[in-house]
Amino acid sequence: MTADTHAAATRSRRAGGPCITFGDDVNTDVIIPGRYLVSIDPVELAAHAFEPLGEEVQRRLLSAKVVVAGRNFGCGSAREQAATALLGAGIEAVVARSFARVFFRNAINTGLVAVECPDAVAAARDGDAVSVDHGSGEVTVEGRRYEFAPYPPTLSAILDAGGLLPYLAGAEGAQR
Amino acid sequence: MKMVEKILARAGGRDRVSPGEIVVAEVDGLVMHDLSAYLTSRVYEERVGLPVRHPDRVTVVFDHTFAPATEATADVLVHDRAWARRHGLNLYDCGHGNIHHVVTHGGHAVPGSVIVGSDSHTPVYGALGAFATGIGNDSHAGMVLPYSKAWFRVPETVHVKIDGKLRPGTTVRDVALWLVGEIGEGGAVYKALQFEGAFVETLTFWDRWLLPLITIDVGAKCGLIEPDEVTERFLASLPAHRAYQPVYGDPGDVSECWSYDVSELAPQVACPPTVGNVHAVDEVAGLEITWAELGGHGGGRIEDLRLAAWVLRRAPKHPDVRFNLVPSSRQVFAQALKEGLVAELHDAGATFFPPSTGSNQAVNMGALSAGERMISTHARNFPGRNGSSKAEMYLGSALTVAASATRGRITDPRELVAGEELATVAAGGEL
Repeated sequence: MTADTHAAATRSRRAGGPCITFGDDVNTDVIIPGRYLVSIDPVELAAHAFEPLGEEVQRRLLSAKVVVAGRNFGCGSAREQAATALLGAGIEAVVARSFARVFFRNAINTGLVAVECPDAVAAARDGDAVSVDHGSGEVTVEGRRYEFAPYPPTLSAILDAGGLLPYLAGAEGAQR
Repeated sequence: MKMVEKILARAGGRDRVSPGEIVVAEVDGLVMHDLSAYLTSRVYEERVGLPVRHPDRVTVVFDHTFAPATEATADVLVHDRAWARRHGLNLYDCGHGNIHHVVTHGGHAVPGSVIVGSDSHTPVYGALGAFATGIGNDSHAGMVLPYSKAWFRVPETVHVKIDGKLRPGTTVRDVALWLVGEIGEGGAVYKALQFEGAFVETLTFWDRWLLPLITIDVGAKCGLIEPDEVTERFLASLPAHRAYQPVYGDPGDVSECWSYDVSELAPQVACPPTVGNVHAVDEVAGLEITWAELGGHGGGRIEDLRLAAWVLRRAPKHPDVRFNLVPSSRQVFAQALKEGLVAELHDAGATFFPPSTGSNQAVNMGALSAGERMISTHARNFPGRNGSSKAEMYLGSALTVAASATRGRITDPRELVAGEELATVAAGGEL
């Protein structure tokens, strides 16, 4: 995680900016191809994010802050780098109709906001300004508001800390 | 309470849990392969740096690499090996077999236990009545290694009831692929699928194995089969296994049940670009292939090798097809030797590779050139996963793969079966 995205995730519960849109069943081999999995560096991984979809998509990704996707985003392998690569590309949040569960888990654990909000997905067009507030359970698309069920408290706390490792480090520190 | 709820309640030190709750559970087993161990170990050493709480619960299997072909891969293995030894983890080095087969043969997964791994097919241990699911490397590094804990959202249970008797030429792998198409990719996101019914009860352990294997492909969190005599017998056949306390769901506690009958099912093939693109074999029969492979999570079992030998006794291998045989474990290879299958299949023109996960992701074998086509028992067929994104991977049963290897094109195995009782071929005694 870059210092910037980490700090942003830690300080605020609101994330957002221009979005890039995708359809249903985007799998992790598309998000980050298997041959790059020896890296855990977000920036290195980001250079290959969505490589199978071509350079035009990769360029749009780098100017986006939010990924908007259809059903079952992140299906396929359990690779945590799918979330890490998006963070490295400067993505702060993913709004989808639904997530593959391992991707959702990896997103929370790496500090990437991931919310299910089908109405916002239906409304969003590529390049629209999309923001996500995981504290209040609200997504906005070009100023129009859509609601989603907020996270259970434990998951919110992990996201607020910027991911599982900083969360555990903080919890450990607090106990001592 | 349902079976998965009882397992998670026990592991979380709670009397009861309900679907949707987050439980911090004690983890009984963590499994990693050569690639995920590398990532996890680096995160662990760089960002956590604590002792491993229960090294005996952590198993590392080098299965993507049976022998390193590049210096970079050799570096990864040296790093993993040193890390596993430093912490006293269970280490199965190159040549032991596919991760999940090795862990199962090693007795590291048992009924009622909680197993995690950063391989998406980890739910397969549900075949033993365990709760098993895939998680990422930060989760391992942050919670599982130092604390033996992981958080889980308690899943809703769907009972998947399967009845019927298969026709000759259709196998359990066909049932599994067909279910992916029926349920749909993402059709069971977050859910626990509990496989049951008369069909499931009659299956051997290694055939049951193929059912929870596909839960990831429909988006489910885990797949489970309640332990019974078949499970007990299998565990008793292992040289050693962890102690266990099986867990059963409360009888009649069913919220949702999906029923299927497999009596009329034809052999199935998953076509590119995803595992859910499933068709009856006759719809794709005739497509030319250049490679056929038995191996990976969904094949390379002794049953698969027996079926391949049976097919090659009836028709010779096509000269333009490379037929790869990748035993899923050393135990399978040893058994194949004992049964004379190694010599027989070798003489028939097939090629044995070391026990490993074979061509999965083309890490040490199995890269395809643009325009090439492989049919295999592997678990994934995403374009670009095996070399060129213009190559194609088709997934079928061992029988369909072997039949296709004889014709040089995707072949309906029923053309070779002609009414013979195949169940007896595959079942030459359990491993």
